[in-house]
Amino acid sequence: MADNTPKGAERAKNKRGIWGWINPYHYNLERWAYAFQRITGVAVLAYVLGHLGDTSFFVGGPTGSGPSPSSWDFIGTIFENSFGHLILVLVVLVLVFHGVNGIRLILAEFGFILKKPSKIEYPYKAKGLGSGQKYLIWIGIAAGVAAAVWAFLVLFEGMG
Amino acid sequence: MKESRLMLIQYATAVLAVALVSIHLIMQGVIYPYATAISFSNILSIYQNGFYAVFLEALLVIVLVHGFNGVRIILHEWRQTAPWSRWVDVGTVLAIVVSVGYGTRTVILALFGGVTA
Repeated sequence: MADNTPKGAERAKNKRGIWGWINPYHYNLERWAYAFQRITGVAVLAYVLGHLGDTSFFVGGPTGSGPSPSSWDFIGTIFENSFGHLILVLVVLVLVFHGVNGIRLILAEFGFILKKPSKIEYPYKAKGLGSGQKYLIWIGIAAGVAAAVWAFLVLFEGMG
Repeated sequence: MKESRLMLIQYATAVLAVALVSIHLIMQGVIYPYATAISFSNILSIYQNGFYAVFLEALLVIVLVHGFNGVRIILHEWRQTAPWSRWVDVGTVLAIVVSVGYGTRTVILALFGGVTA
């Protein structure tokens, strides 16, 4: 039996690794959403880990032993400013997009928003995707922007 | 654990995280004004309410399991050698244990620790 496994340069060309999924250029909207789902997921995890660190200052930080108003005030002076609030607005934006787009992915995984498979024809559009997924991606973007505006109003209210 | 089961865990934690994070965000900017929500006295009252302490602990576990399992999935797709896969799995478990442990320490100290200066 012939070995059709790509070798050498062809294999290297096909194996694009992590840069393959980060770069959705030349692909459809769903592929862009896939890339952003992962990028926003990693970004949100990085924020969550930072948030674990800053909330620990409520109990005095890594060496604390109980709720400490002075420690909490200290961490507040670092993060409760315009730059810190801008980061939070961005976190809300990507978090809401990640959540809504994640629900779309779960619905697709269980087949709820997939169309029936059909014969491949020119111009080779992915027929199984349908318009429902595109709507959900745009709903995710709109919900993210709306939540970011809400967060901006909440966080910057009274700052001036 | 089978990858199919880990993927189901990823979806289940995703759905739960959407619900819990939504409640968390609403508490930070809708139920209370932001300045009140992050005040020391308000946070102390939240932590020392048993229901909310359990809520925060559940949020902590679900979000971290979902997040680190998500990174694990990305890293498994990136490379597929046996040693890499093993280290990624071990690293994921360690990362979850350490981060959940650190977050749980905050919840426990806030719930039971005496207020210091």
